[in-house]
Amino acid sequence: MLSFIVKRLISGLTVLFFISIITFFVLRWMPGDPATLSLGTEGTPEKIAELQEVMGLNLPWYQQYYHWLQDLFSGDWGSSYVFGEDVMTLIIQRLPVTLLLAAVSMVIVIPFAFIIGIMSALFKERWVDYIARSLMQLGDAIPQFWLALIFLVFFASKLGWFPVAGYVGFDNGILASIHSVLLPAIVLAIGQVGPLIRIIRSSMLSSLEQDYMLMTQVNGLPKTLAIVKYALRGASIAPLTIIGMQLANMLAGAILVENIFALPGIGRLLLMTVEQRDLILLQGMLIFVTSAVVLVNILTDICYRLANPMIRFGGNHE
Amino acid sequence: MSKLRQHKLFSLGLFLVLVVISLCIVSFFYLPQDPNVMNTINRFQSPSKEFLLGTDQFGRDILSRIMISSRYALFIGLVSVFLGAVVGIVIGALAATANGWLETILMRFIDGLMAFPGILLAMMLVAVLGKGLWNAVIAIAIFMIPVFSRLTYSLVLDQKNQLYVKAARSYGASKSRIIFKHILPMILPRLITQFSASIGSAILIESSLSFLGLGVQPPNASWGLMLSESRQYMLTYAYLAVPPGIILMITVLGFNLIGDAWNDSIVSRRMAE
Repeated sequence: MLSFIVKRLISGLTVLFFISIITFFVLRWMPGDPATLSLGTEGTPEKIAELQEVMGLNLPWYQQYYHWLQDLFSGDWGSSYVFGEDVMTLIIQRLPVTLLLAAVSMVIVIPFAFIIGIMSALFKERWVDYIARSLMQLGDAIPQFWLALIFLVFFASKLGWFPVAGYVGFDNGILASIHSVLLPAIVLAIGQVGPLIRIIRSSMLSSLEQDYMLMTQVNGLPKTLAIVKYALRGASIAPLTIIGMQLANMLAGAILVENIFALPGIGRLLLMTVEQRDLILLQGMLIFVTSAVVLVNILTDICYRLANPMIRFGGNHE
Repeated sequence: MSKLRQHKLFSLGLFLVLVVISLCIVSFFYLPQDPNVMNTINRFQSPSKEFLLGTDQFGRDILSRIMISSRYALFIGLVSVFLGAVVGIVIGALAATANGWLETILMRFIDGLMAFPGILLAMMLVAVLGKGLWNAVIAIAIFMIPVFSRLTYSLVLDQKNQLYVKAARSYGASKSRIIFKHILPMILPRLITQFSASIGSAILIESSLSFLGLGVQPPNASWGLMLSESRQYMLTYAYLAVPPGIILMITVLGFNLIGDAWNDSIVSRRMAE
């Protein structure tokens, strides 16, 4: 187990290394150098050359990369051209909104996906299953931003159940905050539910076919009890593996949803960054978001190992 | 899954895709109105005989704009997935055949790409390359690379130890010959399945990018762009947002259904063997 964790950490670090390389090179590939950009209209050739020297832009790329990485590790992520503020501060300011959005959406999606996925597996090839699978297909195909627009018109504007736009801070009470992100969270949840139902359904199906389920029948265990006690347990491990993917999807969805509902989160900041071509901020946000995804992937892999007795007790189930 | 149901879903998917393809083909020969002509007298017309789906804030015919947009959607979908698939398959096959450090480097690089949430990678590239059609194609193609390289990698690894590959090797066939002549034809069905399913998500990303103002640029039409333009007026003229969304959903659903049905038929054939 320990060797697995070490191995997994090393491979995670390699991935992070490649992410840093990709980000570093793609953003340096951008037309216009940072010195000219940050001086703007005040840039005379002498001033630009001076700043290039200070910023280390004349150094060979590997030295630039090394310095960049050093800064990154020391927590100096630079400051944004547009906002004139520290990148880290900007991200931390916006993070709670996106985290709340993601959390509320998870709270909606997980029970829903488990209920539908399990029902669909228990009533395989019956009408419950058909409806569940049609819903999955629709969920995958509906454009999230379109759904957001429709919901906005219908639930917020016509029915007035939710605010049309904007975020209510924690100072006004947690419930008010949750209410202000509830409608966008529902939209995000609908986009997430398809893959989750699919994996729950298939792992439940394979769990139902295991020998231990036959054994419960032989022992005369009531069917419901057998399902709750054994099949469910076996089926609840596999969905862990896609949590990292779900997180990535959720962040992607947040970019669209936050912009439509005018929520001041990471997604909205990202779009502004791209529109304004704020190189330093974009780079910081990319590193932040991708590291989060990699980290969650490592953690879920380890949890998966810990949760799966077949692997935990040294079986060769790979 | 029953054969019949598979067949039904496939037919439904095919039907939906054909609807969109014919919309696209017809748009080259006939459009109800000029999609780019602005006519302020006609703005915000509800659906009528003259304007079947109504007009937008500039008095442009929505149906014509939807038809024109289908060209962009299909073009971007097909081309970007094709480019991404070619590069991805090459990387995946290379990683699966080359052992040791090259394999590790290639696959970790792919993992790195994979850690960028879909639209984020595309946004980063658009920030660098600039807005526009071709940059959107490149951005989506790069997003597609990891999907195909991972699939190819695992499929090739799976085939590598099969008897027919061992036989080919014992005849002295070269590595590249084994890959292209023997393994690739075997795994092609799975790759084609992935191709079809990916077109749906490519079109979704294109429309999302255009919606955010980073893809197809006005005055050109794209479903995503149309929805973005309708945002301001939606509360008063809700009908503006319905047609582009529905056609977009139909397209994505169609490609997804075809991909899924193919995939299921491959899996059930495998199980039958």
